[in-house]
Amino acid sequence: MKTHRTKAEERHAYLLMVLPAVLIYFAVVAFPMIFSLWISVSDYSGGQIFGGSTPVRFAGFSNYVRMWNDRYFWISLKNNVYIVLLSVFGQIPLGFILAYALYRNMIRAKGFFQTVIYLPCVISSVIVGILWQTIFSPYGPVTEIMQYFIPGWQNTMLSNPRTAIVPVLLVMLWYYTGTYFIIFLANLQKIDKEVIEAAKIDGATEWQSLRHVILPALSGVIVTSSILAISGSLKSFDLIFAMTGGNPARRTSVLALYMYDTAFRGAPNYPRANAVSTFMMAFSFLLIIITKLVEKKFGGREE
Amino acid sequence: MSLRKSTMWLVLLALLVFALVPTLIAAEPVTIRVLNYLDASSPGAAREITDVWQKFEADNPDILVIREDQFGEPFHHKTEAYAAAGKLPEVIYVWPGGRSATLHQKKLLKDITPLLGDERNEFIDAALEPQAGGYLAMVPIGLTASHAMYVNTALLKELGLEMPKTYADLKAMVAPLRAAGKDCIIVGAQDDWVMQSVLYSMIFGRIVGDQKLYDFLDGKAKFTDKVFVDSLKFYEQLFKDGVINRNAMQTPYGEAPALFAAGRAPFMIDGDWRAGAFLTDESTGEALIPPEKQKDIVMTVFPAIPGEINHGTSSIVPAVGYAMSAQVKPGSPEEKAAWRLISWLNSAEVQKVRLETGAAFPTRKGVTSDKLEPLAQERAEFYGRIGGTHVLDDKIPPEICIPLNIGLQEIGLGLATPVEVARSVQAAYNDWARSNK
Repeated sequence: MKTHRTKAEERHAYLLMVLPAVLIYFAVVAFPMIFSLWISVSDYSGGQIFGGSTPVRFAGFSNYVRMWNDRYFWISLKNNVYIVLLSVFGQIPLGFILAYALYRNMIRAKGFFQTVIYLPCVISSVIVGILWQTIFSPYGPVTEIMQYFIPGWQNTMLSNPRTAIVPVLLVMLWYYTGTYFIIFLANLQKIDKEVIEAAKIDGATEWQSLRHVILPALSGVIVTSSILAISGSLKSFDLIFAMTGGNPARRTSVLALYMYDTAFRGAPNYPRANAVSTFMMAFSFLLIIITKLVEKKFGGREE
Repeated sequence: MSLRKSTMWLVLLALLVFALVPTLIAAEPVTIRVLNYLDASSPGAAREITDVWQKFEADNPDILVIREDQFGEPFHHKTEAYAAAGKLPEVIYVWPGGRSATLHQKKLLKDITPLLGDERNEFIDAALEPQAGGYLAMVPIGLTASHAMYVNTALLKELGLEMPKTYADLKAMVAPLRAAGKDCIIVGAQDDWVMQSVLYSMIFGRIVGDQKLYDFLDGKAKFTDKVFVDSLKFYEQLFKDGVINRNAMQTPYGEAPALFAAGRAPFMIDGDWRAGAFLTDESTGEALIPPEKQKDIVMTVFPAIPGEINHGTSSIVPAVGYAMSAQVKPGSPEEKAAWRLISWLNSAEVQKVRLETGAAFPTRKGVTSDKLEPLAQERAEFYGRIGGTHVLDDKIPPEICIPLNIGLQEIGLGLATPVEVARSVQAAYNDWARSNK
């Protein structure tokens, strides 16, 4: 009897303690997601949602169909996929290589390089966007330098649909690599140096100690970084907004920008914008599930 | 208590009341929020702040103005966000149609006709035409030609070239200019509204004309008709002939005046408002084009286009102005305060400031100034030399205009043909017509 009462009390105490967190989670995460889903299947056109002069009605999945049939949606999605690939296979490996080089004392002036590599991360993305917009402008420094070597060279990088996203990707690589660099450097420093020394004494080469000691120890960090990279890539907005505004002709747009344009540009369409955000959420979940499955299959033994 | 003591207390109390009442009144000014459009980087921005906004605040201590300055696309996005949330500020900077179409069409702005009263007689007739909502939501602070061709005559002379009269003349300049390492026409068209507003609206007006525009919108004609496609084909030809470099689509809007001032090309196409970018900034005393060199700059319109039905026209629109949110209660202190501010912003004094800074050409009758720099004077004379047709985004609903804006960029980049763009505009029209039945 006494045991039962204790368990019930424990359960009550547990519920009481998690309740604030659950309420906050519901208010700031779950509710907006559900609400967005609802707006995406409604005919809401702005103004008061409840008790307004125009009642909001269920509109089916027409907004998803329209989104699906819009070629600018596919251009934006394709650009997002490029950014995800760049983040996972560009920023993370590069961040790791730089961190590893510094950790293993392969480079002198560690402090200097640590600062230089991380520096872009502390600059406002809007400033970075405007800075690189000027650099890549057809009359900017890149053009001037190239014309010095190749007279008459025309800067068509951003105006060529095939290469328009390239300058944006380069800037993203430069801007965000520092974040992963710091994450890896911090985690590398947690690895017991004696383990690496022991591997060396046993005759392991640099590659072997990296492959069999360091990488397995960092597998969790790599997965976490990948999740951060994927979710961060799908949220990409500010830098591109400042640098190109998604132009020319929406060729550098991404899903977040496409959603923003749909919601606030020219003819606002809130249901379709919410359809885009719901798609982004589902797509993000899918990519994260894939990452977790990959980790489960190939991941190491992080202790 | 003796009579003397009571009297003394009464006097003291009265003094206290007299001392406190004005303080209490002053302590509670009427608060009005303003969403303002301001290019903080323009040379006239400092004077706009001091001579317009700070002066109003100093002269009206009973009104607290909470002003939010925005510029470019973020301004429009913020406006849409406020409109969607049903929380428009009391006073808001609006376009007569186009980018502010939501505010007009959803009647989110107040009809100011009763507030304006007899003061309407002070303004030119064009300024008093109802806006996109079908009523007068604001009095434009100026008239705007969205197309102007700025010509650096000194550069033309230096290169042995003359002012072009026809498109053929302009096209013939491309080769010698290229040989001199110059572009022909600079347009900062990275933002997709630019080509439509500053160039294509003029081409449409010259080749297609306003009447046909109404026919398109009424469904009596189609955007796939030959005349519309022809206007797009001429626009495409500008890029094929090298008159406009395809790089215009990756040139930031704000960069064009500096490039033109630096002599990268003898021509720049932009709105008339861009004249302000070249004038002297009173806060620094510096100008992108110093007054002594401004006489070399001529403001004109694009030369004669083959097959045009309207000659020498620009695209003209009654410009922006300050409107009041429809949510402001009639007769309330907020309405009185907001109207006092709007009246000030439309006053002769403010219009004179804007004429001098090149921000706007007055809509009030008789506003002039003897302090105009040569380019501001040139701008004032420019309006007398041109005729006008509509600016497309002022008349075409955004649902149709956005595919057109993007289509114009695609044509410029060689990603779409005029026929394809015409089809996509017609498809957007069909959707719009269906949903607005």
